[in-house]
Amino acid sequence: MNLFKEIIFLLRKEFKLEWRQKYALSGILLYVLSTVFIIYISFQRVSPQLWNVLFWIIMLFASINAVVKSFVQESGHRQLYYYQLANPIAILLSKMLYNASLLLLLSVLTFSALSFIAGNPVEEAGQFSLALLLGSLGFSITFTFVSAIAAKADNSSTLMAILSFPVVIPILLLLVNLSAHSIGLLQSTMIGRDIMLLASVDLILVALGLVLFPYLWRD
Amino acid sequence: MKKHWWKALGVVIVLYSFFMGLLTPLKTGILEANPASVRTGQEVMLEVKGYNSFYTQAQNELRAWLKMDSERALAARRVEVVDDRLVKLTFDIPAFLPVDKKVQDFTLILDSPADGASVLPSGVFVTQDSINAALGETAWPNADIANLHEKAAITFPFRNILGETIRNTYYHVPLWFAMFILFISAVVYSVKHLRNFDQRYDEQAAALTSVGILYGILGLVTGAIWAKHTWGAYWSFDVKQNMTAVGLLIYGAYFVLRASFEDPEKKARISAVYNIFAFATLIPLLYVIPKLTDSLHPGAGGNIAFGSQDLDNTMRMVFYPAIIGWTLMGVWMAQLIFRMNRLKHRLLEE
Repeated sequence: MNLFKEIIFLLRKEFKLEWRQKYALSGILLYVLSTVFIIYISFQRVSPQLWNVLFWIIMLFASINAVVKSFVQESGHRQLYYYQLANPIAILLSKMLYNASLLLLLSVLTFSALSFIAGNPVEEAGQFSLALLLGSLGFSITFTFVSAIAAKADNSSTLMAILSFPVVIPILLLLVNLSAHSIGLLQSTMIGRDIMLLASVDLILVALGLVLFPYLWRD
Repeated sequence: MKKHWWKALGVVIVLYSFFMGLLTPLKTGILEANPASVRTGQEVMLEVKGYNSFYTQAQNELRAWLKMDSERALAARRVEVVDDRLVKLTFDIPAFLPVDKKVQDFTLILDSPADGASVLPSGVFVTQDSINAALGETAWPNADIANLHEKAAITFPFRNILGETIRNTYYHVPLWFAMFILFISAVVYSVKHLRNFDQRYDEQAAALTSVGILYGILGLVTGAIWAKHTWGAYWSFDVKQNMTAVGLLIYGAYFVLRASFEDPEKKARISAVYNIFAFATLIPLLYVIPKLTDSLHPGAGGNIAFGSQDLDNTMRMVFYPAIIGWTLMGVWMAQLIFRMNRLKHRLLEE
């Protein structure tokens, strides 16, 4: 129960921190809006197929920018201070949860911006929201953990991109498949299996992150 | 010798796979039947081109059938051997076929005492002018396919699209298996390192991973050459090819990560963590996603799975040893890299 309390407390800390330095959040929002606008100017007419791919590519780059700061931004000394105060597992979980909610917000925003400009091709809203939820979770888990790895090195921002892009591709492919189905581009009878697969990949990665993190934070 | 026998064994097995894999001839096959498309109610003269065949040695005993399904077949009325690679077959196609389809494919079967039986699946298509299955059933002059010969020699099967490239099964596929065995053992060493922080375990993991990447590149290159001959292009946007490129990127990132640390203990610990994490994402990449989407590879998207029909017993005699041989060679190479790195460190410390 103690761990649960710690997570809640740390989550509140993360939200408060974000609220106080609004530039980070507003920077990412502006990033999403300008990317969507660039896409509109370059394509003008966006077919559903293109819409699907573009949506997830915007999401990929926006979320890597949003998540990279979670471990990289805080200095080593301050992190050491956190680890003295709280359980490292609680710190990792709170960062993952916080990033997941941030990415969920980001994906809703990207979705509304893209559908405002390029139209909304989504036919099955429930399935698409499930894709958004699982995608935010998967991106957040992978990127948070990779940013914890990259924060240990000196050239962390380059390393973040190199390490996280190949690792996230399986999740991204499953997501593109799932949302293509919700848009009506794919006729698959085994969509339940795809959802299960995505959820289990998320679950495996979070379990692995929890097992490996104690080896990571100690210096 | 007591300690190093496995290195010699690996070399001997790989050499064996080279000799057996490249020198064993293919079974007699049929390259093509011309014309491939005929009509009902005609006397048809088929020109059949053989591969690795010796038709002149079996002059009078050469027999041929057009097989429709497991029960029905047409026997050739006349067989005329032109030379070793060319034979002319005359068939009387009945006026009606016992099926409701407009176009029916027939499998061409040739049997000779010198070469054994050879098959061309869906070699001849018969188009019906008018469909009457009941009439076709009664008028069907059925011929039993019996007493097929078998060639008493060690041969590999002949498959129509593959041809001689079937030999790549002993290089492309075992390299993949060996790569996976090396990656798995690297992960085992990474786990071992995290259990007691012994530097050597991490260096073992790095050495095994680098040989694994070498095998991965070799597997990709042999696969691309094979794809050029069978699918028509080096890179066919096949899901397994793409996923493999991504997998190699993951392991490339592993070495970039290693290079970015000065402190050897930190480097060992963090790259061990990344190695385990990356391997977990590699499994859906290489084994789950290719099964969900269409692939030109066997075992995906409705293609027959590997091992069910593709391997016969002579191929197994080369294929399975080749996996063991390449794995042993890979472990040996990893040992050499590992020892070289240890010596380098020792030199730098002095």
